[in-house]
Amino acid sequence: MPSLEVSDLRRGRDLYRPEPAEVVAVQKLTAQENLYTLRFPDGGPLGHEPGQFVQVSILGVGECPISVCSSPTRPDVFQLCVRRVGDVTDHIHRLRPGDTVGIRGPLGHGFEVRELHGRDLLIVAGGLGLAPVRSLIQYVLDERQRFGAFHLLYGARAPQEMLFSNDLLLWRQNPDVHFLASVDRPDEQWRGRTGVVTTLFRELPELDPASTTVVIVGPPVMFKFVVLEVLARGIPQKNVLCSLERRMKCGVGKCGHCQANHIYVCVEGPVFHYGELKALREAIL
Amino acid sequence: MLDRVISRESLLRLVDDLARSRQIVGPVRRGDHYFYERVSEASSLDLGFSYCVYGPKSVLLPPREVLFRFNRADGSFETQNVLDEAPTALIGVHPCDLNAIRLLDRVFSRTHVDPQYQRRRANTLLVGIDCPRPCTPGVFCADMKANEAGEGFDLLCFPLQDGAADDKLMYGVVFGTPAGRALVLEAQVGDRPLAAHERALERYRAAKQRAFPRRIPYDVDTLPKLLERSYDSLLWEATARRCYSCGSCNLSCPSCYCFNMVDEVDLSSRQGERFREWDGCQLRVFAEVAGGHNFRPQAASRLRHRIYRKAKWIREREGLPGCVGCARCDRACTAHINSVEIYRQLAEEG
Repeated sequence: MPSLEVSDLRRGRDLYRPEPAEVVAVQKLTAQENLYTLRFPDGGPLGHEPGQFVQVSILGVGECPISVCSSPTRPDVFQLCVRRVGDVTDHIHRLRPGDTVGIRGPLGHGFEVRELHGRDLLIVAGGLGLAPVRSLIQYVLDERQRFGAFHLLYGARAPQEMLFSNDLLLWRQNPDVHFLASVDRPDEQWRGRTGVVTTLFRELPELDPASTTVVIVGPPVMFKFVVLEVLARGIPQKNVLCSLERRMKCGVGKCGHCQANHIYVCVEGPVFHYGELKALREAIL
Repeated sequence: MLDRVISRESLLRLVDDLARSRQIVGPVRRGDHYFYERVSEASSLDLGFSYCVYGPKSVLLPPREVLFRFNRADGSFETQNVLDEAPTALIGVHPCDLNAIRLLDRVFSRTHVDPQYQRRRANTLLVGIDCPRPCTPGVFCADMKANEAGEGFDLLCFPLQDGAADDKLMYGVVFGTPAGRALVLEAQVGDRPLAAHERALERYRAAKQRAFPRRIPYDVDTLPKLLERSYDSLLWEATARRCYSCGSCNLSCPSCYCFNMVDEVDLSSRQGERFREWDGCQLRVFAEVAGGHNFRPQAASRLRHRIYRKAKWIREREGLPGCVGCARCDRACTAHINSVEIYRQLAEEG
C-alpha cells in the first residue's frame, strides 16, 4: 500500500467529514437564489482560488456542490449563492443567521489567477453562471493593477432573475470594469439592453487576440454561441476558459458521478481550457 | 522463484494461528455459490473455490459503510469520523481479484487519500491463491492479462499438484511483502523449496498457459486505440436495447468502485450517520444533476461509458486494467449482455 498521505483539503480534517461554518448573513437575491455569507469558528480563511467549489452539508439531508462566489482577497468570510433546486438546497434556504452548516473544501481546479496576471480579460456570464465567476470578478477588482483591460458581459433571462443587483449597480459605475448586461425577456421597467448575451459582443471594442483571456460560465446551451463570437474575434482557443456543472458526490475524484467521458469534473475542473473540453463529447451539450 | 512450500494442512493451521489476532475472511460455500464471509476457523473455508459472487471488493469497500456519525441536536454540529480498525486476513483471492484490488488501492490513494479504504486496507493481510485453470467457462482473464498476479498480495499460493487430494496438496508460496514473509517464517510453517518444487512450478505454469483459452481476437493493450474509433458505433445502441439498466454488472464487478453518499438519522432525529453505498453508472439517474438534467439519459450512452471506463479510460489513467476478465458482469446480466461479445465486435469496427 502507498504510504498515508496528508489530505490535501485545506479545510477539513477527514476527507468526507465536513467542517462547521456559521451563517453570518442571508440575502435574498431572486425568488430562487439566496446569498449566504459564512465564517469558520476559528475565523480562518477558506483558502480557495476563484472558480473552486465547496460541498455544503446539511446533516441528515446530504451534501451539494456550490461554487464559492466571493474572492479570497476578502478572506474573513466567504459567500455562496444557492439556487433552491433540490433537497439539500431546500434546507439551505431555511437557514438563518447564527445557524451552522458543514463545509468540505475548497475542491476542484479553479481559475489559476496567477496565470491570468498581466492579461486583458473578457468574462461572459449567463444566468447562474455569474455566481462562480463573481469570485474572479471580485479578485480582479481587488487586484486591479495586475490586469489589463477588463470587460464583463452578463446575460439573464429576465430582469427579476438577475443576480447580485447591488454588485451590478456598482460595476456599472466602476471605471475599473467595462460592464454590459442584457436580458432576453424585458419587463416594462427594464431600461437596459435586450437580447441574448452574444448581442453584447457588438459593443465590445477590438480585443487583442494575443493578450486577451476569455472566461465563459453559463448554461450549456450558451457555450457554443459565445465561443463562436470569441473565435470570430481571432482569440486562440487556448485563451478560452470554461466552467462546467455536473452532479458531484465525493468531490475528490472517486465516486464517479461527475465524469464527463474520462475527465473527473470535480478534480480536473470545474474550470477547463476550451481546448480540453472540445475533445470531450459529453462536456458541452 | 518460490519462497516456501506449505502443505494444505499447514496453510490451514497458519490461518487458525492468524485467527487469534485477526478476523478471518475467505471463500465459504453457500449452495452452488461462494461468498467471502467471516469465519472463526480455517476448516470453514473452501480454498478450492471457483469464484466468489461479489469478489473481495465486498470486504475492502463494503456495499454500505459509515463515513462519519453526527449529532445535530438543538442546532449543534458534531461529527465523528468512523474507521474500521479490525485487523483482517483475507484468505483465498484469485489473481483476477488481486489485480482488481491493485486498482482499488490506486484509486483510493490517488490525489485525495480515502481514509476509510486506506485504514481497512492497511489492516488487511492478503493471501492469494493462484488458478491452475479457468474457474468457470466464460472468463477472459487471460485475455485481460489478469490471470496472473505479480504483486498486490502478502502471500501467493500456487497449488502445485492440481487435482491432488486435499491431504496431498502442496502449495508453492511466494512472499509479496515483508509482512507476508514474517508471517510464514515466524510461524515456522512449511519448508524451504527444493529444485523439484521449482520444476513443479515450471510444469504448473506451462500447464496453466495451455489451460486458459483466448477469447478476444486481439491484444487488449490495443483496446484504448480501438475504442477511439468506436464512440459513434451502432454497437452501443444495438447492445443496449436489451439492457434493463439494473446495474447488476456494476455491483458484481470487482473493480467497479463508484459510490453514492447518503444521510440517515435515527428515530430521535438528533443523531445519524453519513454512509456510502455502491452505486452504478448503468443506473438511469447516475449522472443526473439537481434540476433533473441527465448527462447520460440513454442506456446506450451508459453502456458505452462502462466499456470505455473499463477498457480505455482507467487503463490510460491508472496504467492498470479496468476489467480483469472475471466475467461476473456477464453472468450477472439479466439480459445476457456479454462483454466478450462486445470486445469481439469492436474488432470489426475497422
